[in-house]
Amino acid sequence: MPDARLSHTAAMILQALDAGFVYGFSIMEMTGLPSGTVYPAMRRLERDELIRSHWEKQSIADAEQRPPRKYYKLTAAGKVTLEASRKRYPLLERLIPSAEAKSV
Amino acid sequence: MRLSVAWARRAMDWMLLWAASLLVPRSEREEWHREWRGELWHVRAACTPAGGPAGASQGQDHGRGQGQDQVTAFCLGAFQDALCLRRAGRAERPPLAGIEGTPRQCLLILAAMLAASYAIALLLPGVCAERSLWPRRMNPNLVMIEQEGVNDDAEATILPAQFRSWQGRKQKYFDGFAFYRVTRQDVGAEQATGGTENQGDQGHYEWNVAHAGANLFTLLGLPVEFSDADARARSDLKEVILSERTWKREFGADAHVAGEVVRFRGQRVRISGVAPDGALGLPGRVDAWMLESDPEAQASGAGYVVAHLTGLGAAEMWTQSVHIVANGPDGAEDILLGISLAEWKPAPGTLYLFAAIVALLALPAITSVSLGESSVNQQKTSWARRILRWSFFTAKAALLLPTIYFVSLDLAYGSTTIGRERAVYLELMSTFAMCLFSMRWMLKDQRQRCPVCLRTVTHPAQVGQASRTFLDWNGTEMMCMGGHTLLHVPSLPTSWFGSQRWLYLDTSWDFLFAGSTRPTP
Repeated sequence: MPDARLSHTAAMILQALDAGFVYGFSIMEMTGLPSGTVYPAMRRLERDELIRSHWEKQSIADAEQRPPRKYYKLTAAGKVTLEASRKRYPLLERLIPSAEAKSV
Repeated sequence: MRLSVAWARRAMDWMLLWAASLLVPRSEREEWHREWRGELWHVRAACTPAGGPAGASQGQDHGRGQGQDQVTAFCLGAFQDALCLRRAGRAERPPLAGIEGTPRQCLLILAAMLAASYAIALLLPGVCAERSLWPRRMNPNLVMIEQEGVNDDAEATILPAQFRSWQGRKQKYFDGFAFYRVTRQDVGAEQATGGTENQGDQGHYEWNVAHAGANLFTLLGLPVEFSDADARARSDLKEVILSERTWKREFGADAHVAGEVVRFRGQRVRISGVAPDGALGLPGRVDAWMLESDPEAQASGAGYVVAHLTGLGAAEMWTQSVHIVANGPDGAEDILLGISLAEWKPAPGTLYLFAAIVALLALPAITSVSLGESSVNQQKTSWARRILRWSFFTAKAALLLPTIYFVSLDLAYGSTTIGRERAVYLELMSTFAMCLFSMRWMLKDQRQRCPVCLRTVTHPAQVGQASRTFLDWNGTEMMCMGGHTLLHVPSLPTSWFGSQRWLYLDTSWDFLFAGSTRPTP
């Protein structure tokens, strides 16, 4: 049973990832949180296996003439935790609408 | 110029990231740095869009400056991220993972504390000085006799005739007297064998020389260091005993000083030893003691008298001083004062023992003295394990109690500004407090050690509900990480669950403790 007692910051980051903001800087822009908050929070979420990361292919980055970046995505446990967090923080979805909500 | 400023800020951002990367554990540093470098590229692209004309307006320059600040703020956040990773790395790698909570760790820490406190006691000059006095304390039955009503204790007040008259009579309260008088004398030093000048300012000094009866040091009970009985027997010169202060000051604490010859007013005398500093408690600030026959010592002038109390006399000595009425040589009564030469201050060892015993008596007032060995399932550990458990408890006490002794000495005598009288109170209080709380810790620590492997139980968990106290137990459950026992400590002691109990785990619990070794209880 995943622990739903996430901090508000961690819940916002999970929500942002779920909404399609999949790298650190985009989460910063979306949530308005500083880098010193977002990246350490993502380390903890990854340690707790609520999110996981993977590197972009070098060829894609080379084609766009930029360095490769690290992307994050929710794990199954992360999705369950996010669901629980949404109940705890009802305004979370209004603050950062999820991808499904945006498409509707 | 503007280009160079932009490059300077860019270089600064890179330097910030590089500096932050040094905080990251080495194994994760490369990937961490790569991620932040990649993000920095995107942050810079978003905050400071390229293509601004060289001659941009002031407003555009201002916007670019703000963007640069955002980039720098982003880079500063890297330090927090790096510190977070560093802390996580430390948490995963405890420094004493192998022995954490084991009796070995506990004994090692206590041994280190003992070694540290002893080393500090050896290094602190105040403690060293105090320790050097311990074996040299004055005999408690010695008194200095002087005329009553003299303002200055250092003033010599007893005439040789008075002394001789007391010495000649049978005494009830005293069984020994010694007389000495102090004169100021020029002293010249020479080698006993060669007759050349010794060290010192041209070999000439001016000393306070005490002319004392030969029985003085026997009466004082003070040892004379470097004394050589054979050499004394061979020499026909008069003997002089240096005070420790003079020996250090004039002879540089030379251990071969005995046998050297000095001249007192042209008379050659032989140094026969060094009197310990304890003798300096006698009035007169004596630099050297010349031991002579009684007629020579009592030749002229007033002097000082040291007397040794009989058992009856000691019983009358209630305070530091006592009034004495004695018949003088002319039959008239002399009103005298006998002042004890012994310090009122007890020896540090005695004081420590007293404080430790008081702390032991006070211990039941602050904690239970039970070692909490009862078990839920009435299982008993083997005799060997019980002996081991008691041995561990004894070893803790054996390491902790001397540590407290040395720490209390360090505290009391570490600073020479405190004064010896106050140091006694400081030692007493610190010893009492440390003994009390250390004994409490010893018991508490012992109660929380698994009876099988002596590891400290960990992972406390709250069990039960306080509202069901009278239906079921509630309290804290801790487990031995070796997988031997669970410790149940009730939150609210009841008549049926008053103190902690051990639950010995059988082999069905093994799956929870993979890799642990399970000795037989």
